[in-house]
Amino acid sequence: MDIQNTQSQMRKGVLEFCILSIIQQGEVYPSDIVEQMKAANLHILEGTLYPLLTRLKNAGLLNYRWVESISGPPRKYFVMTEEGQKAYEVLQKTWNEMTTSVDAIITPKANPIVHQADTAQ
Amino acid sequence: MTMKKVININFQGRILPIEEMAYENLKQYIESLRTYFEQEEGKDEIINDIECRVAELCDDRLKKGAVCITEEDIDLIITSIGRPADFEAQDGFEANTTNNASTNQAQDNTQTAGGQTYQKRLYRDEQNKVLGGVCAGIANYLNLDPIIIRILWILLFGISFFAYLLLWIAVPSTSVKEVGGIRKRLFRDLDKKVIGGVCAGMSKYFGVQVAVIRVLFLLPTILLIVNWNHFHLFQFWEFDDFSNIFDVTFMPGAIFVYIVLWLVLPEARTSADKLEMVGEKVDINSIKNTIQTDMEGFSKRAQSWGGPFEKKQTSPAANTNTNTSSANTNNTNSGAGGLDQRKGCFHYFGRTITILMKAFVYFILGIITISILAALFGVGVATTGLLPLKKFILEDGLQSWAFIGTILFFIWVPVIGIVTAIIRKIAGYKNSNIWVRSSFIALWVLGWVCISYFFSSLGNSFSKHNQPIEKSIALVNPAVDYLEVTASPKMKYYEQRWFNIEPFQVYNDDTVRVRNLKIRIVQSKTDSFEIKYVTMSNGKSINEANSLADKINFSVMQQDSSLFLDRGIAITNKDKFRNQHVIMTIAVPVGKRFKITNKGWSQTTINMNHRGIRTETINDFGDDSWVDEWNENWDSESFSYDRGVEYRMTVDGLEKIKSDFDKSNYDNDDNNDNESIDEMEEQLQKLKKDREDLEQNLEKTRAKQNPTDIKKKQQIAVQTPSRLNKVAAVAKKAEDLHLLIQRFTY
Repeated sequence: MDIQNTQSQMRKGVLEFCILSIIQQGEVYPSDIVEQMKAANLHILEGTLYPLLTRLKNAGLLNYRWVESISGPPRKYFVMTEEGQKAYEVLQKTWNEMTTSVDAIITPKANPIVHQADTAQ
Repeated sequence: MTMKKVININFQGRILPIEEMAYENLKQYIESLRTYFEQEEGKDEIINDIECRVAELCDDRLKKGAVCITEEDIDLIITSIGRPADFEAQDGFEANTTNNASTNQAQDNTQTAGGQTYQKRLYRDEQNKVLGGVCAGIANYLNLDPIIIRILWILLFGISFFAYLLLWIAVPSTSVKEVGGIRKRLFRDLDKKVIGGVCAGMSKYFGVQVAVIRVLFLLPTILLIVNWNHFHLFQFWEFDDFSNIFDVTFMPGAIFVYIVLWLVLPEARTSADKLEMVGEKVDINSIKNTIQTDMEGFSKRAQSWGGPFEKKQTSPAANTNTNTSSANTNNTNSGAGGLDQRKGCFHYFGRTITILMKAFVYFILGIITISILAALFGVGVATTGLLPLKKFILEDGLQSWAFIGTILFFIWVPVIGIVTAIIRKIAGYKNSNIWVRSSFIALWVLGWVCISYFFSSLGNSFSKHNQPIEKSIALVNPAVDYLEVTASPKMKYYEQRWFNIEPFQVYNDDTVRVRNLKIRIVQSKTDSFEIKYVTMSNGKSINEANSLADKINFSVMQQDSSLFLDRGIAITNKDKFRNQHVIMTIAVPVGKRFKITNKGWSQTTINMNHRGIRTETINDFGDDSWVDEWNENWDSESFSYDRGVEYRMTVDGLEKIKSDFDKSNYDNDDNNDNESIDEMEEQLQKLKKDREDLEQNLEKTRAKQNPTDIKKKQQIAVQTPSRLNKVAAVAKKAEDLHLLIQRFTY
């Protein structure tokens, strides 16, 4: 099995969920997303973030708004659409289910059968 | 370098003072993004967003007190946003497998990887392709100008054709271009130009002094000037003297190459072009910089993770909403993800077929173009070579100019045009300037005008024939038994080998000699030789033709049994060549012999070239034959004959007596005689010796007068004739062979 491959797939799987989650909390500027994720020790390049946001926007999950700025031209802020909100809820539900299941599996005490089988061997 | 040029740019609504180099880097970066997101649906939007962000970050720098945006600033910004290669690392699985290995190492703080950059891989370059992008891909990989790889491919075409096909099919394609490094390209350098800046541009590319390139271009011309008094113009079809090829072909060659390069190479206009022209400077600083950037990118990548979210791998428990969104994302992703699925056997097979068909068509087109080019080139060289003859054929004024126009515009312009177009296509430069193209077309049209005028006017000059008047020549002694017709020995001339096209022979600046003579042999009605001749000419009008024919001064002189004829008809540059020729009729009485020789022409020609004088004796016919090839029965009265053969006139026609070739002249200087003849000769000698032995034996036996020997004697007597016959047969065979060989060498 290719460990790296699995690793990167696991990371990718939650990336979109994380981004939606940040936007769901309120109107954001893309670099704020990067900052917030960085604070949580999750690194993403702006160069990959922008295409992702555009895709999500084109899919109707996000929308954007031009916000006047003091220092220069207006900036693009992203907000969640209703559709996006629904998608986010589905993803969150899935995430919760998954974490519970995964926790249950990876906690050794909660899994005596495996232990028994090991000792039997 | 402490001084840096700063320019102001208006970038996404912000005015930014920026270092010129930083600006170039930024431009390249944006360009690389554009290439990378080529397939994306919202490509323009993405790039616009990123540009806005870059502008904002630059603005931040300025607000913090920076005077201008430096290269380092741009590098930092680019690194934080990420280069296409980094996206690639976050995006696809394939790239991840190599990169995550280093990611792990970096996270463990085991810095074993050191300055390792992401692994370079060979891809076909779809953006800069001509055929399949193989050359562009290799050039990208090696960081070279694709034109160099393409020219190398063409040089090795024979071998590499199939290799190219294989690579086309086998190597995957990608749209990612190497980012960061400046690729060297060939430009014309207008800042340092003397003529077109070709030499200066080449010196920049190859990193040598301009003077070196200039000298290389000028060398043939310099050589030519040094040898100017032995200038052999366009003599390269005479390969006997190799140095001629050297000093002659180079001169027009260098000019030709220069013109083509001038037309092909784009000029370095913008500062980006100038940067590309020199390429990235390789010194310790730039190497350090590169390594530093790589390291930074490397650590950034080590900490970052994830990439564009692929909907295919999201939770299976998606409801209707996510389904619609997944459909959408799949559409946008189809460029990348869908390709893998389509790479089925069938798709692969179809692609291969398409590639093969395309390659085949290109191959055929290439062959056609090359043959047209070769033909034009050949005609061009030949006609240019004919230029010295111009004054002897063409009327001055319009006709001459039309001829020059034809050579220049009808032949050389398309040659240069096609060569230029091919090289531009190979080099992948954008289509040439509309002015260049339309002036090419205009010149070629002019060429058509010239050629049609030239041929119609030339045809007109040759259109009429003169009215032939037969003149007879009184022979000193017409009653000789044997007449040998041969060329006049008294006219010595030193052939100037720099120009010699059959049947013309340049005599001096104003005169050429045309060897345009036909000899008819008829039966004489009296018992003495009679000679008559007709001078013929063409011309614009009958009057002109008549006067030209009158001017032909053809003298015949008899000396015992030899008849000496002039070596050619003199044509001056005033009278022009209008196909002047002489038809001579020799009436041979029945029972008398004659020969039109080809022997007796042996003469020493003196070749002058810059290495000195070389003499050469021509002793065989062919090279020096002056009599027109006319061995057919060309009217009912005359007889056909071969040169160098003695004939006797009989009532029924010509009777062959002996040929010059009949003499067995094996021991001549003929090096071409192959071994079989030598063997034959050996055999002949051996047989002769045998015969002598036998004859000696015969003598002996006769002396002894032994009756028992009579039988022997008879036997020998029987044997001898048969042996003699054999000798004769072998000798005849050898002669035939010799004749054959002579004909071939001729």
